[in-house]
Amino acid sequence: MVEEQDKLLPIANVGKIMKQILPPRAKISKEAKQTMQECATEFISFVTGEASDKCHKENRKTVNGDDICWALSTLGFDNYTEAIVRYLHKYREAERERAKNQSKVTATSSNEEKAKESSSHKTSKQTTSVQQIDETSSAPSELRALKKGKSSLTNPP
Amino acid sequence: MRQAGTYSGLLSKMSGRAGTHSLPLARIKKIMKKSGDDVKMISGEAPIVFSKACELFIEELTKRSWTMTMQGKRRTLLKDDVASAVIATDIFDFLLTLVSES
Repeated sequence: MVEEQDKLLPIANVGKIMKQILPPRAKISKEAKQTMQECATEFISFVTGEASDKCHKENRKTVNGDDICWALSTLGFDNYTEAIVRYLHKYREAERERAKNQSKVTATSSNEEKAKESSSHKTSKQTTSVQQIDETSSAPSELRALKKGKSSLTNPP
Repeated sequence: MRQAGTYSGLLSKMSGRAGTHSLPLARIKKIMKKSGDDVKMISGEAPIVFSKACELFIEELTKRSWTMTMQGKRRTLLKDDVASAVIATDIFDFLLTLVSES
């Protein structure tokens, strides 16, 4: 079955990850990369399905990072959790630095941008809390949950 | 500067610093949305969690596949090695149909 490429993870990224983990002289066939590409894509669908079921049962509309971690653990990938938590912390740290630097440099220009953007547009973005990552500043619940150690991420089973 | 640009700029900087690989978050989100009709809203962090989880998944499946390659005394990792690794690993059962189809 030939899948459209934009429905799969990019083969270049997948190939790079594979190459990095293998010995230097190892070679990878194109078909093997394609299979890995399909497997990784299926992995996302599989885990998301589990996470989404959980949200549905709990009457929640938004699948969040905690749900993904829970699904990973439930499906037997609990050994990934530690690395993911570390990665998330690094990401948030980098984001905080970025936000700090940006607010210093672009205080004037961001005010101009806000004036240009329609207020309803910005509001709708925040309420759906889906597309833009700049909403980590307005999505503190996951941060707080992790900091308090309430989530499954920081509490070992 | 658009917020999306800020974000992808941040992520590429982070990969460079942390030495991690990033998978494109927009693509991850697309795949997540396609996974089911009831997946409507996805938090900002979910694709980020997946970018790391996918990396770990690819690493694990690759390592296991390479074991098969070595057993065959080869240096080229083939599709069949990936299929063998999937068959040999319980948590990869969800991939059995996929590898037997291709």
